Amino acid sequence: MITIEADPVPGPGPAPAPAPAPAPGRPAPARAAVVRGLGASLPPRSVSNQEVIALGDLATTDDWLRTRTGILRRRRADDEVSTGDLAVAAATAALHSAPGHRPDLLLLATTTPDRRCPATAPEVAQRLGLGTAPAFDLSAVCSGFLYGLITAAALVRAGACAAPLVVAAEKYSTIIDPYDRDTAALFGDGAGAVLLAAGEPEEPGAVLHTDWGSDGAGADLITIAAGGARAPYPDPPGDPPGDRPGGPPTPPPRPDRYFRMRGREVYAEAVQRMTRSARAVLAASGWPGGSVEAFVGHQANQRILDAVADRLAVPREHRFGNIQEVGNTAAASIPLALAEVLATGAVRPGARTLLTAFGGGLTWASVTLNWPAATSRTLLPGPRLPSR
Amino acid sequence: METRDIHQEAVRRHLSTVLTEKFEVPEAELRPEATLADLDLDSLARVELFLTLQEHWGVPLADEDSAAELTLRQLVGTVLALIPPEAWQEPE
Repeated sequence: MITIEADPVPGPGPAPAPAPAPAPGRPAPARAAVVRGLGASLPPRSVSNQEVIALGDLATTDDWLRTRTGILRRRRADDEVSTGDLAVAAATAALHSAPGHRPDLLLLATTTPDRRCPATAPEVAQRLGLGTAPAFDLSAVCSGFLYGLITAAALVRAGACAAPLVVAAEKYSTIIDPYDRDTAALFGDGAGAVLLAAGEPEEPGAVLHTDWGSDGAGADLITIAAGGARAPYPDPPGDPPGDRPGGPPTPPPRPDRYFRMRGREVYAEAVQRMTRSARAVLAASGWPGGSVEAFVGHQANQRILDAVADRLAVPREHRFGNIQEVGNTAAASIPLALAEVLATGAVRPGARTLLTAFGGGLTWASVTLNWPAATSRTLLPGPRLPSR
Repeated sequence: METRDIHQEAVRRHLSTVLTEKFEVPEAELRPEATLADLDLDSLARVELFLTLQEHWGVPLADEDSAAELTLRQLVGTVLALIPPEAWQEPE
């Protein structure tokens, strides 16, 4: 169970002081990027399987959901809490766990940005008081966190930045159709964040080997059909009025604004892609699957996690996750699970750690790293600062 | 025993092992005419079963909507038909 600490994140009040100008010059290239800080954020409202079933009048049962998905409950953010709010809270928690580091880049992985345009990351960076640090969103659905981690680690090693903050935040409750039996019960809201900095590959927290890939041939397996350039949102009903004499033709049916997933095909792709990708980083690291001390996969579905870990021969006692309590939180799921395990102290710093994820796109990624030495916290999301 | 019968028996035995050990299907329920639905394998379990057979035998086994109604006898036959004869290694 995740501990929720009631520490407030910076709430409404005076705007943070402008950040001092960065020192001239670039950071030196590094031998390794190291996870120095880790934090998470969960909305306090927990929603049971029974509540989800009742809300959508779903033809399923609590027992079926527990046994077939592993999910007992999930968190749902209130209407006034946005993805950016969750991101700020998780990032704040990560910064608390890495005192003395000042992020010089913010990367936000999300499927549910606060607005179509602009990206959510710059506002999150501003609310964190990061001055004019570069900030951008990254879209790789459930692989988003690992895509961000791999990108940020490469930037550290290249000397392009010194302390990138990788945040993954999702408010899937805004894109889930409550009447869709295939997805309504699976997803939850939440966020996680890690702070990276230069270090040595032998250190706890060092990112060791990475693998990532995509296959757009499977783009239709996980989608939100409407809202993009292929299917823009139509005009609101009644405007235009339809087939008036001489008027425009009746608009096509409203495109689907909800997240849809073709479950069986996703299962097969997820198991195969994550297994192959994880094997690639294990081979590069020289680690047999049985030697992995901490396996944290994208918390999609307990059966997918078991299928992948079984194929990799990761011992059961070294598999960690929290899908029972928070459901599938998409990009946020790995850092959320990491923060929870880190808080329990169940894994020794430096332990052989394998992360793997799969998401829409299709996208997938795997990372080996040494288990971090950082502490972690989970914060409640706070309100947004008033707009200037 | 004919070669084909030996191969068929190998596929049948492997399927039985997977169903009992991985999917915890009671051995008594493994009748040739039992369908995957009879064995209470839901859609994701069927995908996992097909992936497992695919990985073990190296055959492309497509998961179809109608898979729930496949009998064990039919599934063994399908797998057997997909395995090229040259893939079988004769015992030394």
